[in-house]
Formats: sequence, C-alpha cells, structure tokens
Amino acid sequence: MNCFRRRLRQTLTIARRDFVATVYTPIFLVFLLAPALMASFSAIGGMGAASVAASGRDKARIVAIVPPELARPMAEADKRLRAVFRQGEAPAALATVKPNGDAAAQARQLFAAKDMDVSVVMFGPLTRPHILHTSRYSRSADYLGVVAAETLADRALGRNRPEVQPVKMVTDAARQSRGGRNQSALFAVFGIFFLTLFLSGQVIGTMAEERNNKVIEVLAAAVPLESVFLGKLLGMFGVAVLFVGFWGAIVGKLGSLLPAGAATAFADMAPAVGGGPFALLFAAYFAMAYLLLGAVFLGVGAQASTMREIQLLSLPVTIVQVAMFGLSAAAVAQPGSWLAIVAEVFPLSSPFAMAGHAANSPDLWPHALALAWQLLWVSLIVTLGARAFRRGVLQSGPARPKRRVKRGAA
Amino acid sequence: MAVTATGLAKRFGDRQVVDGVDLSVPRGSIYGVLGPNGAGKTTTLRMLLGIIEPDRGARTLLGEAHPRDAGDRVGYLPEERGLYPAMKAREAIAFMGALRGLDWRTGRLRAGELLDAAGLGHAATEKIRKLSKGMAQLVQLLGSVVHRPDLLVLDEPFSGLDPVNQEKLESLILAERDRGATILFSTHIMAHAERLCDRLAIIAGGKRRFEGTVDDARATLPSRVHYRPQRPAPAITTLLPADAASDGGDGWRFQLPAEGIESLLVRLIDAGHGIAGLSIERPGLHDAFVRIVGRDAAEAPAARPNAEMRP
Repeated sequence: MNCFRRRLRQTLTIARRDFVATVYTPIFLVFLLAPALMASFSAIGGMGAASVAASGRDKARIVAIVPPELARPMAEADKRLRAVFRQGEAPAALATVKPNGDAAAQARQLFAAKDMDVSVVMFGPLTRPHILHTSRYSRSADYLGVVAAETLADRALGRNRPEVQPVKMVTDAARQSRGGRNQSALFAVFGIFFLTLFLSGQVIGTMAEERNNKVIEVLAAAVPLESVFLGKLLGMFGVAVLFVGFWGAIVGKLGSLLPAGAATAFADMAPAVGGGPFALLFAAYFAMAYLLLGAVFLGVGAQASTMREIQLLSLPVTIVQVAMFGLSAAAVAQPGSWLAIVAEVFPLSSPFAMAGHAANSPDLWPHALALAWQLLWVSLIVTLGARAFRRGVLQSGPARPKRRVKRGAA
Repeated sequence: MAVTATGLAKRFGDRQVVDGVDLSVPRGSIYGVLGPNGAGKTTTLRMLLGIIEPDRGARTLLGEAHPRDAGDRVGYLPEERGLYPAMKAREAIAFMGALRGLDWRTGRLRAGELLDAAGLGHAATEKIRKLSKGMAQLVQLLGSVVHRPDLLVLDEPFSGLDPVNQEKLESLILAERDRGATILFSTHIMAHAERLCDRLAIIAGGKRRFEGTVDDARATLPSRVHYRPQRPAPAITTLLPADAASDGGDGWRFQLPAEGIESLLVRLIDAGHGIAGLSIERPGLHDAFVRIVGRDAAEAPAARPNAEMRP
C-alpha cells in the first residue's frame, strides 16, 4: 500500500470513529434539533411581541382636525395612498376630528386622549397645514401632508382628475441587476458565516477526548498526527454536512409549502456565475470555510488541556468568525476594491469573500485558484497544529509518585 | 534484526532524557528494556516507533528506516493506557486494528476470537467504561495484536494488572512469540523479565548500561556461598575467605572463590568443622540490575522526565 493510500485510510478511520462517536449519541439529537428549539423560542417570543405590538397598533392614530365636509375626501385619499405600503409599514390609521375652537390647543389635547394613541395631529387649512408630531413620527407627519395635498387635488380636479391604469410586467432584466448580484453576494457571505458559526466551533474540543482518555498515544503510534488532525476535521465536517443536509431538506420542504409570494424576498437574487454554478461554489466554499476555520480551532483547541481552557477559547473563536464575516461583507459591497482583494486572498476570509465574488463576477477561473489556495492553507494549518501538538503534548510530563524496583513482584 | 537503534538521543528542555542508546532486537525474540523510573525507557520506545523524533541517532524498525513505513506490522501498548470509554470492547479492538490497516469486518471477527480466548467473550459488547481496569487493559492489549503484528512493543505491560491477568499477559506474550512475532517490552519488574526475556538491555540515566541475555546479566555478579559448619568454632574464620560474614547464626556467607569451592571444603573438613549445610546461590536479575545501575538509581524514583504524556 503506498503512502498516500495508507494516509487516506488512516485519516478516514479517524474520521469514521469521530463521526460515529458524535452522531450515535443522544446528545447529537439535541445538537441536531437545536435550530428547532431556537426557532420555537423565537416564535414564542415573536408571538408575544407581535401581540403587544398589535394591541398598540389598534389604538394608534394619526389625526386630522378638519371640517366635516373634508373628512370623507381625506379618508378616500388616505385609502388610495395607503395601498402602496407593505403590510406593517403603513402609518397608523387616520382619524378625523371636527375643529373645536382653538385648533392648536385641541391638537395638543389630543395627544393626551385616553381612547387612542395619537402620534401626529394636523390642523389648519389644507393649503398650509400645521402638523404636530412626536419625534419618532416625522414620516407619518410627512404622510399627513401628502394626504392633505391629495385631498386638495381631488377637490380641485373633481371628475377631471386623470385616471391612470398602469400595466405591470415582470422582466428578466432585473435578474442581471447590480442589486440582484449584491443580494446574492450578501446571501452567500451570510449563509456561509451562519453555518460555520454554528458548526466549525464544534471541533475546538475534539482533541480533548483523546487527551483525557489517553488514547492519543495509541493514535500517535499508529497514525501520523497530521492524519489524526485531518481525520478529526473530516469527521466533524461529516457531522456538519449531516446537519446541513437535514435542515436543508426540511427548509426545502417547508419552502415548497409556502405561498408563491413568500419567495419574492429571494426573487431578485441573481448571481453572476448563474444559479447552478453558484450553488456548487457555495457548497465548496462552505466546505473550505469549515475546514479552514475548523483547522485553526482544532489546532488551537488541541493545545488546551482542560475543559476550562477550551471554554475560554470559545470567545476568541467567535470573534475571529465575526471578524471574517465583517471583512467579507464589506468586501462584497465593493467588488474589485483593494478591500475585496484583501478579503479574497486572506486565507480565513477567502471562502466567504470568494462566495460573494461568485455572485458579483461571472469568471470561474478565479474560483479554481481560490479553492487550491484555501486547500493549501488547510493542509498548512493542519500540519502546524499537529506539530505544535506533538511538541506540546507528546514529550514529557511531571514527576510521578515514587515507584520502587520490585523484586519478584509477579 | 527486528529493531536496531544506534546512538539514539533525545533532550527535553535542559534534560538529556536519552543519551546515545544502542539496541539490537533479534527477530522472533522477547527483548526486555529494563531500567529504573526516569531511565529513558518510554522515550526510547517512542523514538523507535516514530512517535517522537530523536535529536540524534538512527533506528530501523522491521528493516524500515522510517518507523511509519512499518506501522501496519507493529503493535503497541503504551504505558498510559487509553481507550474510548463509550466504545464497545469488540469495536475498540477492531478500531485499533483498522488504524493498522486491518479492515473492520476482519477486525471484528478477530476481536471476538481474541476476547473468547482471553476469557472476555462476555464483555465483547460491553462499553469500555463498564469494564474493570484490568479487563480494559487486556482489551487494549488485544487491540495491539489483532492485526497480527510482526513486532509487538509493550511499555510497562504488567503494571496495574492483578496476578491472574499478569499470568494471562505472560501467556499472550509467549503465544505471540510462538506465532513468530518479536516482542519488545519495557519493565521495572525483574521477575517478568527473568521469566520471559531472551535478551535484555538495561538503561539508566538515559544511557544503555548492559545488553545481553539474562544469564549474561547474572554473570556480572559472582555466586554466593552459604556455609553452615557441623562444629562451629572461632578458628574457622582463618580458613574462610576474607569477605565471609556471619549470617546471624552459626552460618557464613561469602563470595564463591574464583578457583571453586572444592579445596575450601577439603580444608574445612580436615580442620574438623564439618558441613551441616552448603548452598551456592546464583545472583538474581534484580541483584545484577542493582549492581549495573547502582543501588541509588535502582531504588530512587528519579525525576520522571519522560514517562507519560502531558494530560
């Protein structure tokens, strides 16, 4: 058996052991279902917050103090204008109130009304309305101004008001827009960051098991430490792939059950390399991001000898991940800039930034270079981690308790 | 030779742990590496196996200059025993075989056979954490032979075993030798070395102090005579060798004279002292060991610079 095949077999043996030892445990179910638990808690919290917000929205009002003959035209203008808002973005409902003496004083009193929660009050003539508003509701004040103008226009034009009937058509041209590419790029960077944030940090404590159980010498005697490290990395990558596959399948199924309109959030996504290659590159860069960051965490975590040290390492690990995300997100917003080049070349941010690059640029050859570059760094980091481990662990230990030479101890 | 080492040396920090050790382990033999604690035995074995690299010197393992190249033909039981606690005994043995190139299916089959032969068949599907320390140690030993290695390296294999399991281990070592394997083991328990070893090396202070057979080692010390006269009298001291010392009773102990015991006995009988008892005691390996490494080194625990990995 040649050296490469033997190394491969040894690496896969370690990977298999780690994969099985991780997956065939009850704890893994908790890990696998963690997103569902998080989503459940978020949903419960969200429902509570939505309930509070809805009850507040029911009472929220913007108020126009206008003569009774203007109440109806204002309501009609409001209805027309309100149609352009997305759900949840529209100003509070409009209420009209008859003037009662000093309109300015009446307006101030309305803010203290008990039966409604008033944020904006308009009074005075529609040609020069005075609008009182709390600091947060400047845009609602603008809106009331527009409603006033629309009402005046209705009254001035009456039946002569021109009727416009727009014809809307969807065009594919939007798919090649810069906005669509940016959206794809940000999706790629955030997607890889999100997955690696959850998954690559898992490898940090994997060498602790071997150290605590003293299995490491058995492994080190049979298998080069580089293979031990790479095997552990691949084993945990297998766990990550299982996790992503499981949730990918569930999200895919749930997605197909959602109404067609729900997909509009992603409708503008238009990666420059095309959908198919983009998906493949996303998977490849996720793998690279996992292996690169995982190799760093494995190498650093292997030097820690206690769980406390490993726990202490979690914070810098997360900071590194967030820093790589921040650098890459900034880079994809400025494709071709020096910042983008730095992010694409720096090994730990390269997978994130290059995934964004795939969304922004149609060329495929840079990805071949980038993947080779990243693989080189994976092997370099694994080798350095293994050497540091060998130097730090596989040498000597403290003095032991006395042990005397025994005569015929058997 | 199954194993050769020439001038192996290793320094950890400011401590020279191994300092120019030479070894030659014949194929098919049982070879012991003896030494007091901290002598450099474990570091020597680790260098031979390629777990750590020597600072100086060369070694061959089963004819290979790079120990890794012989990895699949070597079995190793480290001093610090270690198994995955959540693994079942049979899986643990198959895993260790898989690390050495044995396919999992064959590994499981052989693991079952080995466990049965060792009287641990009932524990095949037990998790390691549920086994006693001695049983777990035997499982690890079986894991080191499951791929039928040409060379079996055992670091302090008897430590921590009760007498029954020590006997099982001795039987296993002999069975492996009979199968044709070379066994290289380190120990500081002389009785095992005396019973098992065809050849041995004694290491102390990182240097090899002796290499040869057990008889060669014993021969480094002269035999001792224990003589008890039939009719004790003070004048007997004029006939006995100068180093003769009372045994606390009527008897005397002294080194066997270089010319033999016969002429002395004739003189004692002629003088009328007679012989109530006479025995010639060959020195044991322990005595030879103590003489070779020095009493202080043999009995002092020493600063153990290299016997374990940092946890």
